[in-house]
Amino acid sequence: MTRKEQIEIGSRWFQQKGWTPFPFQVQTWKAYLQGKNGVVNAATGSGKTYALLVPILLEFIAKHQKKKKIPAQNGLQAIWISPIKALTKEIKLSAEQAIEALGLNWKVAIRSGDTSSAERAKIKKRPPEILITTPESLHLLLATAGYEDFFNNLKVFVADEWHELLGSKRGVQVELALSRLKALLPNLKVWGISATIGNMEDAAAVLFGADYKKDNWKLIRSKIEKKIDIQPVLPDDIERFPWAGHLGIFLAEKVLDIVNDSTTTLLFTNTRNQCERWYQELLALQPDLAGLIAMHHSAIARTQRDWVEEALHEGKLKLVVCTSSLDLGVDFRPVKTVIQIGSPKGVARFLQRAGRSGHQPGATSVVHFVPTHALELVESAALRRAVARKNLESRIPYIRSFDVLVQYLVTLSVSGGFDALQIYEEVKKTYSYESVTPEEWDWCLAFICTGGTSLDAYDEYNRVGLYKGKYYIVNKAMATRHRLSIGTIVSDTMVEVKYRNGSKIGRVEERFISGLRPGDVFMFSGKVLELVRFRGIEARVKASKKKRGITPSWAGGRMPFSSQLSEELRHQMTLIQRDDLSSQELKKLRPLTDIQKKRSGIPAENELLIEYFKDREGYHLLFYPFEGRFIHEGLSTLIAWRISQQIKITFTIAVNDYGFELLSDQSIDLETVLKPGLFTTENLKEDILESVNAVEMAKRRFRDIASIAGLIYKGYPGMQKSTRHLQSSSQLFFEVFQQHEPDNLLVKQANEEVMRFQLEENRLRSTLDRLTELELMIKSINRPAPLTFPIIVDRLREKVSSETLRERISKMKLKIIR
Amino acid sequence: MTILLKNQTLHLHPNKAIFWENKKILFIADLHLGKAAHFRKKGIAAPPALFEQNIQNLRQLITHFHPVRVLILGDLFHSTLNIIWNKFEAFLLQFSEVSFELVKGNHDILPEQVYADSILTLHQPPIIIEPFILSHYPLETVPEGLYNLYGHLHPGVLLEGMGKQLLKLPCFYLEPTQAVLPAFGAFTGLALVQPQKGDRVFVVLEDEVLEM
Repeated sequence: MTRKEQIEIGSRWFQQKGWTPFPFQVQTWKAYLQGKNGVVNAATGSGKTYALLVPILLEFIAKHQKKKKIPAQNGLQAIWISPIKALTKEIKLSAEQAIEALGLNWKVAIRSGDTSSAERAKIKKRPPEILITTPESLHLLLATAGYEDFFNNLKVFVADEWHELLGSKRGVQVELALSRLKALLPNLKVWGISATIGNMEDAAAVLFGADYKKDNWKLIRSKIEKKIDIQPVLPDDIERFPWAGHLGIFLAEKVLDIVNDSTTTLLFTNTRNQCERWYQELLALQPDLAGLIAMHHSAIARTQRDWVEEALHEGKLKLVVCTSSLDLGVDFRPVKTVIQIGSPKGVARFLQRAGRSGHQPGATSVVHFVPTHALELVESAALRRAVARKNLESRIPYIRSFDVLVQYLVTLSVSGGFDALQIYEEVKKTYSYESVTPEEWDWCLAFICTGGTSLDAYDEYNRVGLYKGKYYIVNKAMATRHRLSIGTIVSDTMVEVKYRNGSKIGRVEERFISGLRPGDVFMFSGKVLELVRFRGIEARVKASKKKRGITPSWAGGRMPFSSQLSEELRHQMTLIQRDDLSSQELKKLRPLTDIQKKRSGIPAENELLIEYFKDREGYHLLFYPFEGRFIHEGLSTLIAWRISQQIKITFTIAVNDYGFELLSDQSIDLETVLKPGLFTTENLKEDILESVNAVEMAKRRFRDIASIAGLIYKGYPGMQKSTRHLQSSSQLFFEVFQQHEPDNLLVKQANEEVMRFQLEENRLRSTLDRLTELELMIKSINRPAPLTFPIIVDRLREKVSSETLRERISKMKLKIIR
Repeated sequence: MTILLKNQTLHLHPNKAIFWENKKILFIADLHLGKAAHFRKKGIAAPPALFEQNIQNLRQLITHFHPVRVLILGDLFHSTLNIIWNKFEAFLLQFSEVSFELVKGNHDILPEQVYADSILTLHQPPIIIEPFILSHYPLETVPEGLYNLYGHLHPGVLLEGMGKQLLKLPCFYLEPTQAVLPAFGAFTGLALVQPQKGDRVFVVLEDEVLEM
């Protein structure tokens, strides 16, 4: 059968369904049938699944066309990796449709964290032709004896939503698994499916590893573009709209108008806290929404989330209040309207959410942007320009993640041992580990065998042993323990919230629930609940008659601005300064920006605004680089530290996405302090490391690393340790390693991760270069201006000091707590 | 830092100890030795090296003050027996001229025989060495004329200053009839105390003690 004939089979099936294949689909079919690898750049809901499923089936048909009967039980043909469990069902359904239509006798199975052990055993005994799975589940397969046979017939490996995996350690897991499979199966085809990101080429480089340099892969871009219309929800009276805040509940009535005008609406919030509050508020304002409104976030019980998703599909719901838990994956056809509460903080995330509406080809996706404070309206305008210019964020891949590597090595030792030299060669071919030296490799081996130099006296860390040239796990208990801890997502200890009769409501962080006493009332999963008792990892509750309670605030609520959005924001500021107010947002904001201009100033792109004032709290020095929270965290500490090297001073520091504040108890002579060298990139790395909190950041990062590397163990199911204990023991490890084993690769990794992902050294460097070029716009102000206000009220503060403890204490007094 | 209490001279030392000059008695509380090892046994990994720090601090105190008695106000050992106990015993034997005594606390749950086999003198609280009455827990009522020294609490205070400055430090906390010592052991937390008018608070810095 020629390639042309094969493609015709596919096209014919499409025609029967009343579809026409998109050019990118046919291109993918061709490339696949030519035996190429590739990356398909297409958004969710654009037909990307059939771009790859179809040629996988066509290839099989061509091979078996001469046979009288299409054979069954062909062994595993394709692995389809999906980062999101919710997506797996839809892929399975699509696959089964195509299989049936093309007259094949293939089975499709899902293997994820939710799969029962009976089902897993079945999959192993009689492999399906297509296995849809997650990176963690794939590694679990690599931890079973005889996995080589299981993968024997594998033809293709597909990494779906690859852009999602790319910027996480789950992506590294995919790289490692691929390195093993490619060694077993030299002809294995590798494909990725990715939404558009700023660094498309990196997506391919990471997926293909050493094969990236070979000319046997293709990047196929779908040309289908969705039009996006951003409509801000404007407050009637901007002058009474708050200057700070993150809830935006004032606009609830207007939001209800939009909801009532539409059939089905998704309302995206940025945090679970915000999600709970909005749900309560909307239901209180319009009680007849009961039964038509639902909530969806990742702490809500699986069964309830399934119910919400089902009801969304069937168009039974009018409104779903959700978080990023519904960003990705399944497309809900009935959704007509999307509302975004507060800044999405990134262009790509915003696009993803906007794309949840307007499903017909060529339809425009309308998204309503609800500001939570006045200045957020600027972000609405900034997003519009970013979308028009396709100014999308990059995903920074993880490299040299030794925690994932040692976990992988133990995995291989569990399933029948590994030959160190052979695995080293394989691992070296991945993007993440291409620079690993033989010395570093030996360190990893020593680490899994004895725990390394500082721990080798303790048998808890003797996990793997060398026997006749191969590395094996030392005993069965250790193997079980390892299987239970495979994975790279380290979450806080969660407490199961149940009614007294035992029915599950959801899971909430231990940190939150342990702060409550029996009788305390809190809001969760849209309900007002009273704590009855909390023991171990379970909290029993009952419904409360009260209207309100405290809302759990979950970790990770504060997302930073992306560099793309920051850049767009600075552009909007320039427009404001020039009174170039063509967008409705900036027009509306005029009264407010005029106050900012009068009390202080608005900086253009070539200016850096610096404000200085004194009040009863002390002396406030504020900088506005507009670079986003993460960069400001590093930058503010750096600047505070550099100033404190000139004068003896203590600063407390607050940051937001627009700028940062250095607050002190003594007056500052601006002329001495604001010297040209303040923003220099010279000695940057040294200065960062000196300005203390890099170590603190590394310590916090180390918790995850220690857990992934198997140093600390979360416990068997049902007897999990609390996060508090995990935290304290990982910090002790960190300190001991720092003191006694300065070359410990895991500690080095923590430092490198801080530099790469948290302080974003490269971005910090270019920020400093930019700041050096700017003209300083120094304003001594009498009262806080609109930009000033949100920063100075922030109470979460870091500290930088060049005074001794004694000097500081001499100016302090006992704080009286009630 | 030297203070006068009940007409007795007390030295508050930054190693978190009180030396009673008149009687040459050194008071310490809440060493929680073996805590790291205990955690490890429970499967919570905690590396060694803390013990050395504790022992070094104690050695410093003994060579500095030359006490005749060292009175430990409870929680010497964190939990069941482990190797750290043997190391601690070996350490005590280096100071044959000093009497080491333990006022039992809630964590001191080793078998009687273990204490009996050691050179430690064991006391059931409270014990009286006038004008002081010593216990692990604070006494609810302090007998007339006596002053209660205790441990257990791991006291600390918050200090605040201009510019939203905040500091949390361990402290000696003196009330009219009783005082609590800061926890001696590293790897122990702090419980914030709420000073009333007339109370005295001495915060512990790296190498000095300051009254607030």
